[in-house]
Amino acid sequence: MELSRGFRRILESVALDVFRGEFLTIVGGSGTGKTSLLRLLGGLTPASAGDIRFRGRPVNGPPEGVVVVFQDYSRALLQWRTVAANVALGLEGRLGTAALKERVERALEMVGLQHCAGDQPWQLSGGMQQRVQIARALALQPDVLMMDEPFGALDAMTKATMQDELLRVHERTGTSFVFITHDIEEAVYLGDRVVVLGGSPGRIHTTVSIGLPRPRDQITTRQSPEFLQHRLDIHAAVRESAGGDAHF
Amino acid sequence: MRTSKFNIPGLVTILVLLAGWEVLVRSGAAKFDYLPAPSGILLASGSLIVSGELFSQALHTVESILIGWTVAAAIGIGLGLALGLSPLLRRWSLASFEVLRPLPAIAFLPLALLLFNFSLTTELVLMIYASVWPVFINTMGGVMGVTSRLYDVSRTLRLSRMQTLVKVIVPAAAPAIVTGCRLSMGLTLVMAIVAEMIANPHGLGYAVISELQAMQPQRMFAYVLFIGMLSIALNAGLLWVSRHILRSHRWAHADHA
Repeated sequence: MELSRGFRRILESVALDVFRGEFLTIVGGSGTGKTSLLRLLGGLTPASAGDIRFRGRPVNGPPEGVVVVFQDYSRALLQWRTVAANVALGLEGRLGTAALKERVERALEMVGLQHCAGDQPWQLSGGMQQRVQIARALALQPDVLMMDEPFGALDAMTKATMQDELLRVHERTGTSFVFITHDIEEAVYLGDRVVVLGGSPGRIHTTVSIGLPRPRDQITTRQSPEFLQHRLDIHAAVRESAGGDAHF
Repeated sequence: MRTSKFNIPGLVTILVLLAGWEVLVRSGAAKFDYLPAPSGILLASGSLIVSGELFSQALHTVESILIGWTVAAAIGIGLGLALGLSPLLRRWSLASFEVLRPLPAIAFLPLALLLFNFSLTTELVLMIYASVWPVFINTMGGVMGVTSRLYDVSRTLRLSRMQTLVKVIVPAAAPAIVTGCRLSMGLTLVMAIVAEMIANPHGLGYAVISELQAMQPQRMFAYVLFIGMLSIALNAGLLWVSRHILRSHRWAHADHA
């Protein structure tokens, strides 16, 4: 598929499959069209050419079963609603009161926020607000969760905790993840496959399968020779795709 | 930080000014034939309250303000939402609104009088015309200020258009809408008084004029005083209601980095 804005080409001949249950991460420097690609996959932006299919059906608009989580949690949350009401947003009118309440509780429990149900988002830290947004997506029990640099605005320690939480959610739910990041280590740590996006207009430079065993661990996984090798390879690929001048 | 429920120094200043006024009038230093002393106004106020005249006049004004303000808010919110949501509608109609908006409503009084005679209709038309604008402009601005991220969120959660409007856009624009409604309340009161003075012989505005013509300055001033108190009461009531409506919007003032 392709995406153009006016005369500017943003993405060019991108061909990508996302398999059921896999954790796919996409890395690339700034301006390589990572966010544009995610918007295309999530049905938020129509492709200029080519087609996008979800379970064989063409995507025109966000498909049922695919939810996008954005980086800017404070803007993406409805600050006037409580945490629980935010999580319920996508389900209101689709479930009965009891079922809705249970679904919201389960989603909050999955991200460890059950004790914050009655709080307003602005009372929470950044990491907790992002958890609310993730819970809101999980409440819909999606087949695919698309995340656009969800931890990009968080500090390193919160980020590590959130990564492990996300992996636990992945393990528990079997949801497919498409996870965008500019952090190569994060991409390797989380992913089953890492797609390297590069150039301008952006295109897929390489796809790397990550054979690291699960469950992964912040200390042992990150020290393993395979992890370091992947990190090195992908670093080289990102640099190469940017024409030797990687900046991210 | 408030230490007392009452602003004592402010109150003292008011009392001193009133006392000064009383002294000026009684000593004859202020040479106006019809300037009453505060004590005279107070006595006249008492008699207007006791006789029930005040109540019946105030009732008319309050009723027409509530009707006019409600209709103005409904029209203003409706127009504001429509133009805020539709760039097409804005392109076609905003220029017309921008031409009408700066024309002072009071200039339309003779026209309204010709069309609707000396009546409540004339009063309401003028009030509504004047007070639609702040609601309309604020609502439109509020809707246009809703970030595109919230539209993304509504779409990815697969909310219907109606759900997006009711659950996302209107609440996000609520602080601006409420501000517009509060601004328009002040205009509604002013227009009600003016219309009652000239175009509809009822209510507090009419009472001021008829006491003027009856050469009853104490009673005239008493009515002016009541209008002022009505204005304060309406404003305070509305502030309370708007705080209640926006109780979940405290984040707008909170420090959220």
